[in-house]
Amino acid sequence: MGARSKMMVFSRLSVALQRRFGRQRLRKIILGSIPFLFFITIWHANTVFGWLPPVFVPTIGEVWEAIFFLQEDCPGFVPLIKLDNDCMMTTHILSSLGRVILATVIGLPAGIALGVVAGMSRPISKFLEPVGVFANSISGIAWIPLAIVWFGVGWVTTLFIMLNTIFWLMFFNSMLGVRSIAKVYEDSILTMGGSRWDVVTQVYLPGAMPSIITGMRMSMGFGWRALIAAEMIGGDSGLGFMIFTSAAEFKIEEVFLGVIIMAIIFMGTDKFLLAPLEKWTVERWGLVWKPS
Amino acid sequence: MQSRSKLDRLLWSLQQLMKIDAMNIVILVIVVLLGWSVISDNIENPARYLPSPIAVAFSSVDMLVKGLLPSYFSDTLVRLIIGSAIGLAAGIPFGLLLGLNRTVADMFHPMMNFFQSVSGIAIFPIIVIWYGNSDMTVLIVILYTSFFPIAFTVLSGVREIPLRYINATRTLGASRFQVMKDVLFPGAMPHIATGSRLSIGFAWRAVIAGEMLAGREGLGWMIFTGQDADKTTEIILGMVIIGFTWIVLDHYLLRPMEERTIERWGLVQR
Amino acid sequence: MNKLIPKLVVEGLSHHYPDEYTGESVHALEDINLELYEGELVSVVGPSGCGKSTLLNILAGLLPYNIGVASVDGEVITGPGPDRGVVFQEHAILPWRTVARNIGHGLEIRKIPEKERNKTVQDFINLVGLTGFEDKYPHELSGGMKQRCQVARTLCADPVVMLMDEPFAAVDAQTRITLQEELNRIAMATKKTILFITHAVDEAAFLGDRCLVFSARPGRLKEIVKIDIPREKRVWADMNTDAVFIAARDKILASVREEVSVAVEE
Repeated sequence: MGARSKMMVFSRLSVALQRRFGRQRLRKIILGSIPFLFFITIWHANTVFGWLPPVFVPTIGEVWEAIFFLQEDCPGFVPLIKLDNDCMMTTHILSSLGRVILATVIGLPAGIALGVVAGMSRPISKFLEPVGVFANSISGIAWIPLAIVWFGVGWVTTLFIMLNTIFWLMFFNSMLGVRSIAKVYEDSILTMGGSRWDVVTQVYLPGAMPSIITGMRMSMGFGWRALIAAEMIGGDSGLGFMIFTSAAEFKIEEVFLGVIIMAIIFMGTDKFLLAPLEKWTVERWGLVWKPS
Repeated sequence: MQSRSKLDRLLWSLQQLMKIDAMNIVILVIVVLLGWSVISDNIENPARYLPSPIAVAFSSVDMLVKGLLPSYFSDTLVRLIIGSAIGLAAGIPFGLLLGLNRTVADMFHPMMNFFQSVSGIAIFPIIVIWYGNSDMTVLIVILYTSFFPIAFTVLSGVREIPLRYINATRTLGASRFQVMKDVLFPGAMPHIATGSRLSIGFAWRAVIAGEMLAGREGLGWMIFTGQDADKTTEIILGMVIIGFTWIVLDHYLLRPMEERTIERWGLVQR
Repeated sequence: MNKLIPKLVVEGLSHHYPDEYTGESVHALEDINLELYEGELVSVVGPSGCGKSTLLNILAGLLPYNIGVASVDGEVITGPGPDRGVVFQEHAILPWRTVARNIGHGLEIRKIPEKERNKTVQDFINLVGLTGFEDKYPHELSGGMKQRCQVARTLCADPVVMLMDEPFAAVDAQTRITLQEELNRIAMATKKTILFITHAVDEAAFLGDRCLVFSARPGRLKEIVKIDIPREKRVWADMNTDAVFIAARDKILASVREEVSVAVEE
């Protein structure tokens, strides 16, 4: 009888959980966590059986402790915010994030605005298209040495690399997006008595939105990778800098920690920022986004 | 007779268009070169900050004569080709295999997403501890960068194939392998094309970064040492070559291939 | 012809499945018993959500079941197999294969040499009236043609039983009538054993030798209506005056209506 009522409780709990999260989502969450658990088990097994020496693969415990070790000397919350050099981990995370945000805040609107302006006129856009193609082809990474010559090692160089990547991708994608819009829409707004500005907000921006969103996704993908490389080669802070210097000191647990943090940040921005944005634009303008 | 003249007119206007495009590029190049020279003439210490186009051209002649440029160029290209060829050859079947079963696909999707989010450059410090500053390190980084994006894209593509195609083929008596060959592979074709281009794009950047970080000879190394040795002409020369190589690769090889594949396999799916 | 040994047998089949979103157990089918004899076309009607499609998926081998037994030619169904061909409601022909290659896919899977295959394929293309469209891709076909192509693909694999899941639900009314008459002609020509699932009473009465009426959820076999009209006489133009057809249709209609109202009251 006891076992039976336990079963009842269990099945009721499972139904309640499935109701709460949705059966499909719950299934995906559970299924998706299996390989991670398996991976972690293998990792731990390596520590237990010593297949690879700890110099090459740290223990899980070491990686966990690295968080506190890096934050050990942090004198408090205010220095943490001020990016004090003693709060190593948060300082590196925040300075990477800060560059991403700063570069996005400047590069995104600038790239879109110039791209829209260039796309409005066919001759100008034809003229500028090769510029965009060429600028996107010199990948952000290839700018690193020149940026070091210009700005020295540090903040400005890393910001410049990220900004450069974002700006040209946004410029190019919004230009092409605007150019692909049929002229009928533009004309219909003008004949209804709309101004040039109306055309921009009612036709160009929504019409180019799928292309702009593609550009944003690419910006994050390429920009984030370029930023890590820039921090390693020409930076003095940030996650890329952190893992690079840790590797030079053979602190492999800090390298692992840094890599995991980077992946989480990247996946987080994609899932909680870009994906909802895409969904919102689809709902707002009824556009179907196609991967390009 | 009339259609004939129509065709002629079309050809003529097409030629005009081509001429304009060619002219555009010529004008553009002249404008850029002029602007560049003017800036370079008016700054202090141009040799360090922005050497004039002529200086860059001279340095390219110098490097060509010494035979350094072709050797760096081929080193980098060989690395890219070997790395991305192995990466794609392994990544495409891997993505298809994971996609064979919906449950397995749902299971591995988040993990593959995790690994493709970690850029190859980010794992460079780990690899460098494992293998030191060697060609092996650069190769592993390129392999990693090309393998995961393609495997992830293929896996996502396979998950998007409507279940009814798989079911219908199974009811015809197809084995798992036949389903993979006749449904999953052709169905994922557009994703394979897009993913390959993306993978090679990431790999190209990884080659450049890898050479800089590991100090292996190649274009990336050339621009990096150019910065160290205060030879800005070599940096700019390297950047221009990197840019042009990618334009040629992307616009004349990868993009046409992708477009043709999508046209052939993608449109018919709608 | 051996009329006494059934081709498809279902005994005591019941099915529960967890709801897609809430995970609560749904009782879809309750104690289904049925037999299909060789050359027979049996139609199944019932209110929506009565488990018709569940039944078909079980018979196709796409859905595992554990209460009761279903067998074809004496072999218990454990998974999809070439002995049962399925025509799906949505077009399920592969978009990257031409019409001819889609139709010959079943033979290709069985590794029949191409020459032999081509002849059979051409016969079926002619049978369903797709002559001249052999090298077209599915996106170049109309909805009706896609369904013909699906029927031909299924027949070409020469299954023991053909299962059809509301195959004409997604085409326009005019095309549907043509397709129904053609299916009748094909059934006559090939003498296939067919299980035809539909929600349209007219269609069920027009096509079926017998019509099985399902009750609202959980689906039970409620009534079996026999329709005794020779196949060659089944033409829509004559049906409106055919007393047997009208009687059968009204009987089915009344039976289904009862179930729909039960479902609504719940």
